[in-house]
Amino acid sequence: MKEKKGTSQKARRDKSKERTFFLFTVPGFLLYSFFFIVPVLMGIYYSITDWDGISKSYNFIGLGNYVKIFHTNQFLDALFFTLKYTALLIVFTIVLGIVIAMLLNRKIKGRGFFRTVYFIPAVLSSLTVGLIFNKICYYMIPVIGNALHIQALSQNPLADKNLAMWTILFVNLWQGLCIPTLLFLAGLQSVPVDLYDGAALDGASSWDIFRYITLPFILPVVSVVFVLTLKSGLMVFDYIKAMTDGGPGSATRSVAMLIYKHGFTQNKYAFSIAESIVMGILVAAISAAQIYFTDKKKAV
Amino acid sequence: MVEGRKQHNALTYIILVLGILLIIFPLYVTFVTALKSDAQSSKSFFTLPIPMYLESFKEVLSSERYWRSFLNTVYITAIVLGGNIIIMPAMSYAVARKMPASKAYRLVYYFLLLGIFIPFQVKMMPLVKLLSSLNMMNPTGLGILCISSSTCESVFLFVGYMGAIPPDMEEAAWIDGASTMRTYRSVVFPLLKPMLATVLIKQGLWMWNDFMLPLITLNRGWKDWTLTLFQYNFSTEYSINYSLTFATFVASMLPLLIFYCFMQKSIIGGLTSGAVKS
Repeated sequence: MKEKKGTSQKARRDKSKERTFFLFTVPGFLLYSFFFIVPVLMGIYYSITDWDGISKSYNFIGLGNYVKIFHTNQFLDALFFTLKYTALLIVFTIVLGIVIAMLLNRKIKGRGFFRTVYFIPAVLSSLTVGLIFNKICYYMIPVIGNALHIQALSQNPLADKNLAMWTILFVNLWQGLCIPTLLFLAGLQSVPVDLYDGAALDGASSWDIFRYITLPFILPVVSVVFVLTLKSGLMVFDYIKAMTDGGPGSATRSVAMLIYKHGFTQNKYAFSIAESIVMGILVAAISAAQIYFTDKKKAV
Repeated sequence: MVEGRKQHNALTYIILVLGILLIIFPLYVTFVTALKSDAQSSKSFFTLPIPMYLESFKEVLSSERYWRSFLNTVYITAIVLGGNIIIMPAMSYAVARKMPASKAYRLVYYFLLLGIFIPFQVKMMPLVKLLSSLNMMNPTGLGILCISSSTCESVFLFVGYMGAIPPDMEEAAWIDGASTMRTYRSVVFPLLKPMLATVLIKQGLWMWNDFMLPLITLNRGWKDWTLTLFQYNFSTEYSINYSLTFATFVASMLPLLIFYCFMQKSIIGGLTSGAVKS
């Protein structure tokens, strides 16, 4: 800074600069804080009551709701489903994402066309995708299954207790693979080509090339994809709401579905908030651990 | 070597083409079912729509509910984008430039990022109560709420981007006597435009496609519906009518697909840069 020090003009301008920066920050900050702090505080407050969400009065019951969560298996079942679903989603997303990205990264004709088509699902609404596959499973899969004599597909897979989760997982991957694949593709393009050429000259096997050249370059991407998929898996709602509504029975009831059901359709307002806080603590702990264990910038 | 590579390429093609079929198939049946009468569809779901049946489209496109939902979606998305143009770049500029020297701004930044750790469901139930007590259970209210929900991600992206812009130009403008506001408008904001495009695409797609927030705040009457609510309510009500149900999907997807055709590069760029969402 080459300004003349000590003049009153400089002091005035500095002050006005401070004021402008302050004014820039205040509206967004207040808006964010209001819709962030108030609901969280309200949530903590109501979670120690027995309010049903409608009646005029309610009682304070301390940690009663939190104890009640673990009395029945409902929450634990939903949590177990969600964790299993998330683990599968993460594994498939990372493995298939890397495979597809490597295929799309090869020097083949029509590469641009393939990429264009592969990323169409990314712009669609997950609800639309869920509803379309719901109708396909309902009307069309039985037709295909019967024509091909595949016993498992001769009826709606979403109505089958064992197949419903896999079907939702498939639909989630159909759309959810797009962005991870793009990220992996960007990672692959950061590998210097001469490393591959050198390895080929040395007679390295394809696996060695992948293991010692490709993988180290895309490892940061794996970490990002892991976090993204983890969050979307733990909060999965749209696909399930559109395809099975948690059924058949409660076979595909995720924690988000359970909270929604308790809070909005069964008047267990305070109870559902307690459930959401337990889930929130879990997600926050996992995110914090992830950031702690990996480079901060890459993880977020 | 060359033989091996050729075989490799053939295999690559086969897998990639299978992938394309997998992606196209659901979209194909959606379009053809929408363009066939139910009688045609019950003969076979998979044949091309010959002769073409346009009644379902006419019905959707002449329904007041569709257009109302469409306009609501445009309106809410516009509010969110407006907030992201006016509030977020300015706030990020202030935070990014003040952070190194000022502890208060550093705290603000960390506080803004804290939202990443709080999953939406924790706030969901209280938010509905809060919005209804503020009389905000309407498209405008949802739009305002969603500006606040987009803060974490936008600020994170803008502050990161600001970090790569050296302050030289701003300092030059400052020495020339430009006010901070003026510097922001004519120097900083134009420099932020590439990141602004990314942020707008990200937040716009998110808002346009969101289902959970409209479901819990706007599902009381069709006048407030968004396109996702329109599709959801329609397909749970009229699930027997193939053609009409799929026509609602097509009518809702079409704006996005057209957008994708024209803006493919920016969309792909936007969706892959930065990756935070509360």
